[in-house]
Amino acid sequence: MRNLLNFLERYNNLIIFLVLEGITFWLLSTGNDYHNTRVVKATKGFTYYLEQKFNNARSYFYLKEINNRLASENVALNNRLDRLIGSDDSLFFSVSDSLFDQRYIYSSARVVNNSINRQKNFFTIDKGYSHGLDVDMAVMADGGVAGILVGCGRNFSVGMSVLNLDFRLSARIKSNGYFGSLTWEGEDYRHAVLSEIPQHVTFGIGDTIETTGFSAIFPEGLMIGTISDFEKSGGDFYKIKVLLKTDFKKLYFVDVIGNLSKTEQLELETKFQ
Amino acid sequence: MINTIIKYSLLFILLILLQVLLFNNIQFSGYVNPYVYIMFILLLPFETPSWLLLFLSFLTGFIVDLFTGTPGMHSSATVVAGFVRPFVLRITSPRDGYEAGSYPSMMLYGFKWFIIYTLTVVFIHHTALFFLEVFRFTGFLTTLLRIFLSSLFTVTFILLLEFVRKVR
Repeated sequence: MRNLLNFLERYNNLIIFLVLEGITFWLLSTGNDYHNTRVVKATKGFTYYLEQKFNNARSYFYLKEINNRLASENVALNNRLDRLIGSDDSLFFSVSDSLFDQRYIYSSARVVNNSINRQKNFFTIDKGYSHGLDVDMAVMADGGVAGILVGCGRNFSVGMSVLNLDFRLSARIKSNGYFGSLTWEGEDYRHAVLSEIPQHVTFGIGDTIETTGFSAIFPEGLMIGTISDFEKSGGDFYKIKVLLKTDFKKLYFVDVIGNLSKTEQLELETKFQ
Repeated sequence: MINTIIKYSLLFILLILLQVLLFNNIQFSGYVNPYVYIMFILLLPFETPSWLLLFLSFLTGFIVDLFTGTPGMHSSATVVAGFVRPFVLRITSPRDGYEAGSYPSMMLYGFKWFIIYTLTVVFIHHTALFFLEVFRFTGFLTTLLRIFLSSLFTVTFILLLEFVRKVR
């Protein structure tokens, strides 16, 4: 209290000065249209600037939620898209789609466990049969092939990654349609090998490799990667090194694709084998 | 005491009238606007307490504002002038200090002292006033030129008035 009084005594002139100046500024900004406009403009500019900063900071906290929303929206759109394409197709090929409107069903999931440094790599995702997932469904990430589901629990599923010596996938060169078999050789997590492409086929480095859809697991035309290198191997075939589109080291959100007419296709196929 | 109050009241009225009726109508090319009423703040006795000085400054400025229709502008600048006056007096004080019971006048402290003191306070007052008038920093040099020219004219008029006082 004493200190406060001392303070007031010491600075009373300054305080009176500031109070009087405050009054004059209030008069200035309320009494004159020009000054009023300038003051309002300045304070508005300042508050707008602050508001913007706050908004920027706040939006970071919503990123996760927004991500989830976008992922589910993506799934919904994918479902709709395939239904539309499917119904379009059915005008010409009613066979593949007589029972369902739709041939493939999409679902998104998050990777909760993943490995890339073993010879047989698997990943785990946070959805299981209670979410409609089943074994032999295709998994893709970042628009590229990621693997196949091999086991389904109630809430989790395990997928065999492309980076697994047991993984086989029918793949083709997009530019000319020649297909072969894609495997992983257990060395580099960025590259797989496409074999059984005959030597008379012409292609170039950078050509796209995509799925064929023969296996009834992967839809046709999904990107796998691009050709990064090739060499002639024994026999009359090329051994093509494929740079995978999917970076397995940052696998996070994946899309699971189920083929609704798989049973029908397989049943029909086994009849003639 | 009563005498002093009456004297300063008359000076106050005279300066306000001069300012409102005469100097507010002077406009040389828009650069020169002398504000002579500040002389009232300049001439107050040395012993005037600071709080009174500030309130008198506010009052002076407020009344000029009423006549010019610019609420707050002259009050603000004059309060600034009243606030800096004690500091200016301390800095410019002559070797033997100020005489007790006197007031800043040319007769007592000489022409040179009076012109330095007047010029400093007037310049500060005009700087505050003209920047408050334009209320922005674009055209800084133009405003500065206006401040210089107007200060010169104000000081000239104050000196003239002071001479008139001396003669009488």
